[in-house]
Parts: sequence; structure tokens; C-alpha cells
Amino acid sequence: MTGIGDTFASPLMQRALLEALMTGALAGVVGVHVVLRRLSFFTMSLTHATFPGLVIAEILGISLFTGTAAFGLLVVGVIALLGRARSVDSSTATGVVLAGGFALGVVLISSQPGFSRDLTAFLVGSILTVQTADLVTTAVAGVVLLGVLALLHKELVLGAFDPAGFAAMGYRVLVLDLVLLVVIELTVVTALPAVGTILAVALIVAPAATARLWTDHIGVSMAVAAALGAAGGAIGLGVSSHWDIAAGPTIAVVVASAFAVSLIVSPRHGSIGRLRRRRSGPDSLDTGIPRSAGIRTA
Amino acid sequence: MYRLLIEPFAAGYMQRALIEAVMLGILGGVIGVHVVLRRLEFIADALTHTVFPGMAAAFLLGGSLYVGALATGALSAVLLTLLTRHRRVTSDAALAVLLTGFFSIGVILVSRSRSYTADLTVLLFGRVLAVDPAEIATTAVTGLFVLGVLWMLHKELVLQAFDPATAEALGYPVTTLDLVLNVLITLVVVSAVRAVGSVLVIALLITPAAMARLLVHRSVGQMMAVGAALGALGGWLGLAASYEGSVHHGWRLASGATIVLALTALFVVVLTATGVGRAVRRRSSRPSTTPGASAAAAVPV
Repeated sequence: MTGIGDTFASPLMQRALLEALMTGALAGVVGVHVVLRRLSFFTMSLTHATFPGLVIAEILGISLFTGTAAFGLLVVGVIALLGRARSVDSSTATGVVLAGGFALGVVLISSQPGFSRDLTAFLVGSILTVQTADLVTTAVAGVVLLGVLALLHKELVLGAFDPAGFAAMGYRVLVLDLVLLVVIELTVVTALPAVGTILAVALIVAPAATARLWTDHIGVSMAVAAALGAAGGAIGLGVSSHWDIAAGPTIAVVVASAFAVSLIVSPRHGSIGRLRRRRSGPDSLDTGIPRSAGIRTA
Repeated sequence: MYRLLIEPFAAGYMQRALIEAVMLGILGGVIGVHVVLRRLEFIADALTHTVFPGMAAAFLLGGSLYVGALATGALSAVLLTLLTRHRRVTSDAALAVLLTGFFSIGVILVSRSRSYTADLTVLLFGRVLAVDPAEIATTAVTGLFVLGVLWMLHKELVLQAFDPATAEALGYPVTTLDLVLNVLITLVVVSAVRAVGSVLVIALLITPAAMARLLVHRSVGQMMAVGAALGALGGWLGLAASYEGSVHHGWRLASGATIVLALTALFVVVLTATGVGRAVRRRSSRPSTTPGASAAAAVPV
């Protein structure tokens, strides 16, 4: 490679790098909550169902962030309502909303000129065309969202591990859950124009899932996930510009590879570690413990 | 009515599109019942994305999209099974990483080609209006095979969906059954992908079955029949709407996505109607209702 300095010499690449670093860090932190509560499918659904908001905002000529945020809140409401209806399973509701919302976006966009170009940008993002205003939006949204998560940290973690105890202590579970869903949705909305749907999911889930393989501590795993997300963004950008391939998907492959490698080599939870422990005798910790148990809270 | 629903299918390409859409609707509606009963929605969604790199590679190398999709579909089915057995990683996170990783590899492959965005659009959204007789034959054969296997294993699959512990105690090969079902879902995804595209297959797998579950409480077989009928109806209405919009009103409505919107609209109608129906019944027989029984537990084989 011709040196990192050359790759990021142009203002275009510098803006892209800044966006990747900020989005990666924000998504990493939010992702720990997503992974703890098993909301990955929900997040996937949010990214797809928010698509019509993006298209409508573009057609009406209003700010992309405002348009998608407003539509995104509507989507959160619909999924939450559908999921609470006894007759529809929540993952079925998530799937129906995912497909229906996405199709609505496709139909809207197919009536506009430039169909395939816009669609591609939406799916895989266009991080190289990020403007200074986008950077400011990302920075402000990031600070606000991280602030909310920091303020509610203890409550959110407790709610994830022990909903019953949490409710018994007099907290309002529904309100707190809704706050978290809105935070996730706003993270998606912030990330969407730059990184696209698929990468948004990758940046939210992969670094957090990787961090969980290395540490049991929630606070530490947030820091690790943020660092992984940011590093994945920088490395992915460098690789994509060097080999002239699409930037967004390259970042996604980088963070997914970090997860795959960690699955094998992480000392406590990786395949190698487990094999070694198995050889040294039966490990009672390795059997029958539910997946979410055994994590210390911050 | 005739002009809206029958006339569009006078042209040969519209007839072929209709045959393909109806077959996929039936197929999706039937196997979708298993997807919805077992909460495999996310797995199905992951499979629709993981077949993509195989299609992209086949597309670039000029090979058969069907074979390419099948190859990565099978690979991802194995990886899914392995990953979800890892204790530390919850299966939904593993699915999300696998899905985005595989899909991104596909996009990177396509991004090397010059007609990048157009290629990606075709691969993602299909081209149901350009279906040829050979593809219809492939879908028909795949469909018959899938329906045949589902019919033969019906009792085992249904028992396992509702009561996995009993199925295992009875000596059923539980893991093999899971794998068989995943492979069947992959086959449906692969045969649907060229028509409606990899992203929108998920609607065919979930929405008709979700409606069937709202409407039918008697048996899984009836659910499948209703799901198949609604899936086929969605394909028909969607194609007719897309034709009507494009030809008579000058709106260009993407045909695959319009089929999905038709299914979603049907879902909203069914959801509202069953909700109203339940409310009316509750009011007329207030003391003796048992709303606590979950939908899953209330359905016998």
C-alpha cells in the first residue's frame, strides 16, 4: 500500500474518514444494547422500513435527516403496536414491516428518474460524497444519543438482564424500552445516508458482537465496540480506495472478518480456547448455561 | 373489473410473469407457515441475502444464477447451523453479521463491473416481467420437489415446531429435520430470487403465512392452503396493479415491489378484519372467552 497518508490526502477522503470514524464509534456503543437485547432483526427491519422516509424526504425536498427521523419514529410505533397485538408474533410483525416498508420505498423510488443509482446509494451508502453539513449532523446526533445512553446506562443494562426485577423496582419498562428503540432508530437515521442499510446493520451488530467475545464487562465492551467500529471504518476505507471497490461493503466485510477471527481466537469464548479447555478436562461452565447469563453489569 | 384484473394478462410476457408469481406465491405461502410457526423469519431474511454473492459471481462469470445462488445458499445454511450453536454468540447477532458480510461480498463483486448500479438493481429486485419458459420450468420442478418433501415430512415437521422435546423423545432426527427445512427454504429463496429479487423474497415467505395464521386456527394443513391462496392472490393483484399504473396512468411501478405492497395491503385488511371480528365476539360472549391461550398453543396438528 502506498502509505496511509496518501490515501487520506484529499478532502473528500478526509470527510469520508471522519464520517466513518464517528458513525463507527456511535454504532458500536448503541450496538452493545442491540446485541444484549437481541434486537438485530428489529434493527434490520428499521433500516429497511425507514427507506420510504428517505425517498419521501428527497421527493419533497426537505432535510433528509428530518424526513427519515419522522418516518422512522412512525415505523418504531407500528412495529411496537403490531408486536403488542396478541395475534401477531413480534418477529412476524418485524418481518412484515421490513418487507412492506422496503417495497413501499422501492415503488416510490421507481416512479422517479435515476432509479437504480439512487437505490444502490441507499443500499450500500455513498460515504465518499459526504458533505460538511452531514458531518455536523452526525456529530450532533452522536453526542446527543451517547448522552442519553450514558444518563440511562444503569437502567438500560438492568432492564436488559432482569426485566421482572426492573419492573418490580418501580421503573417504567415500556417507556425505557421505547427510549432505547428511538435511540436505535435515530442511530440508523444518522448513519443511513452515508453508509446505507446493510452497512448500518453491520456497524451496529458486528463490532458489539465481537466485543462481547472478548469481555464480559458492559462498559468495556462498549469502548471496545466503539474502537472496533471506528477502526473498521478507517481500514475499510483504505482498502476500498486502494483496490477501487465499493467503500460501504468493504467496511462491512472488515468488521465481519473481525468477528469471524474473534470467534476462533478469543481466549475465553473462541473455538481455540474452548478446545484447550475441553482437552484439560470437562468444564462445568461450558454446559447448560443460558446464553445471556453470566455477564457482570457495569 | 375485467379491465383491471384480466386484460393485463393478454400479452405473453405478462402471462409468464403471472404464472411465475402465482407459483412463487403458492410455494412461499406453504413453506412460510413453517417459517412463521418456528419464528425463522430472521433466518429466512438472512438466506435471501446470503444467496447474493453466489448470484453476483455467477452473473460476472456468465454462469447460471440458479447454481451460483444454490452454492452460497448451501454454504450459508451450514455456517448458520454452526454459528447458532456457539454458546456465547446469540443467534440473531450471528445471523446479522453473516447476512451483512455475505451480502457485502456480493456487492463488492458486482462493484467491479462497469454497469454496477444497473446490475445490482436487477440482482436485487429481479425482473419478473422478463421470465422465460425455462425459468418457469425450473421454478415448477423446484416447487414440486419442495411441496413433495413437505408433504412427506408433514407430521414430523409440525410436531417438531410445536413440541421439540416430544419430537426428540420419540426418536425423530431433530437436527436432520431442521437442516431439511432450512435447505427447502433455501430452494424456495433461490427459485424466487430471479423473479422478485433477493430483497423482496422475504415478503413471499412471511406475509401470506402471517395472514393464514390470523385467519385459520384449525390445522397447519389448512393454514398452508390459505397461505398459498393468499400468496397467489398477492402475485396476481400486484402484477395487475403494476400494469395498470404503468400503462394507463404513467406511474412506473416496479413489478416485484408492487407484489409485496399488494401482500402488505392484504395483511392490513386481514389484521383489521380479524381484530374487529374478535372484538365483536368478545362483546357477545363476555364471560366465557379465553384470550390467554397463545396462538401457537391453540393449533393442533
